Amino acid sequence: MTAIMLLRGVYAVWLREITRATRDRAQLIGGVSRPLIWLLILGVGLNPYFRGEVYGEVRFVIPFTYLQFLFPAVIVLNIMYTSIQFAVSVIWDREFGFLREVLVSPMPRRLILLGKVLGGSTIATLHGSLVLILARFADVTLSIPQMLTALGLMFVLAFGLTSFGVILAARVRSFEGFGVFSNTIILPLYFTSSSVFPLDPSLTRTQMVTAYPEWLVFLMQINPITYAVDALRGVIIGFNQFPPAYGLMVIFGMAVVFFVVALIDFGRS
Amino acid sequence: MSRSVVNRWRAAAVNLGAVIVLLVAASLLPPDTSLSDRERSGVLKLCVPQSFPPLVTGDPEMPGYDVELAGAIASEMGLRLQVNTLPAIGRDYNPRNWSLTRAQCDIIGGGVADSAQTRSFLQTIPTDSRTGWIGISATGTMPETGSVVAVLPGTSGLDRVALSTWLRSQGLRGQLVRSPVQLSQDLASGVAQTAVTERFLANGLELDPAANKAFWLESDHFAPVSTALGLWKGDQTLKRAVEAATTRLEASGSLEKLRKRYGVGAELTLTNP
Repeated sequence: MTAIMLLRGVYAVWLREITRATRDRAQLIGGVSRPLIWLLILGVGLNPYFRGEVYGEVRFVIPFTYLQFLFPAVIVLNIMYTSIQFAVSVIWDREFGFLREVLVSPMPRRLILLGKVLGGSTIATLHGSLVLILARFADVTLSIPQMLTALGLMFVLAFGLTSFGVILAARVRSFEGFGVFSNTIILPLYFTSSSVFPLDPSLTRTQMVTAYPEWLVFLMQINPITYAVDALRGVIIGFNQFPPAYGLMVIFGMAVVFFVVALIDFGRS
Repeated sequence: MSRSVVNRWRAAAVNLGAVIVLLVAASLLPPDTSLSDRERSGVLKLCVPQSFPPLVTGDPEMPGYDVELAGAIASEMGLRLQVNTLPAIGRDYNPRNWSLTRAQCDIIGGGVADSAQTRSFLQTIPTDSRTGWIGISATGTMPETGSVVAVLPGTSGLDRVALSTWLRSQGLRGQLVRSPVQLSQDLASGVAQTAVTERFLANGLELDPAANKAFWLESDHFAPVSTALGLWKGDQTLKRAVEAATTRLEASGSLEKLRKRYGVGAELTLTNP
């Protein structure tokens, strides 16, 4: 097969994922309901508890409002759900025979996987960028370079997490099993990523463990999503809790490592 | 475009369009009641210190840049400005001890620096007057290593830690002073070769403008910043309305006139009070 034919094959697999996802109203409703719930309900609901009442006295000592702080985390949440739940499509294709038909084609397996992961990543990035429509509501102003950098990071993060979804799919045999698995992974990762409360960057570790129990600080620090959220916060609201390079290393590292593991798993399946 | 391609993407376009319309509509919802509360009362309350020239002067003819700016903003918003002069502002380094509450103030003015420190407690709307750390000496430069520098930090929210670190890195000995009078005396008597203070505080120093020169201090850790009007964190709708009014005032040229009237640009001058 020539390179052009191989690229067409990747494109066909990618296009199938895009077509299916954009026609799936339930998936799109999920992509809308999460930002609405997290920003409009939780963000606005908790806002009075984080706003200032007396000058110089505020529990939430970061130079941003709670909605601004939450905004990049909701983008990551939308990407996480869409990427990891992409594994459902892999299970679906496996259960209903489409995967078998594709696998007997002359296309190399790694390119079939690449097409699927690129399709999942594109949809997850689209779901992440839906949150950007609420930027005005959260009082977040984005320049064009900021927007492009954020979209780039969102895509690489989505690529890594979609590959992670494929790894999960290889270990789960039914749709029902995957539902439980995804909730026990996505929400714990999200809540322990400093998404809804800050690790104050001005505090030393000793000071930080007086604000939060040490086990929680430990979980936050070993959670890769913490650094992904931090990288997006750095780009979108200019606030980093960790050195900015950490976030980039983790996002690109996840993309490479998870894709390689997904390749190995997909090859075996 | 062929009919089959149109048909293939029609459902997707309809779904995406509906989602985008829903999110755009949601983004137009007011996130809080701060603006509607002010509109109901018809009053916008500004809290300022007794004096912080030229931002707050106490002179009814020329009440100060921040006071006039807030008045113009209130007028644009169809509200009446109520200026609350609070002697507690600036009395202590820690703003917590000023006891400013939501009940007293909608906006805080009169020397709020648009710095990360301030934004930890307030939302800020820059007002285009510049402030920052300035040096004052006979030569217009910082003295040689080992010299004593008198420091009057003020209360604007500039980064004192960064200033202290920078002074140490330059091999200078910072000596904290408590008042503009003490700073002037230390400089005049030669106790300190150079003074460092906040830009607008320098207006209150009793110094001979002919014998002293003021200059901006700049390093990687602190550059001059804009002064700002401070609003409470979370008062999003009020902030939007104030920003919109400020934009209209800027477009009409009113702000430029105000800046010229009070001389709050980047040019440094020492005035003998």
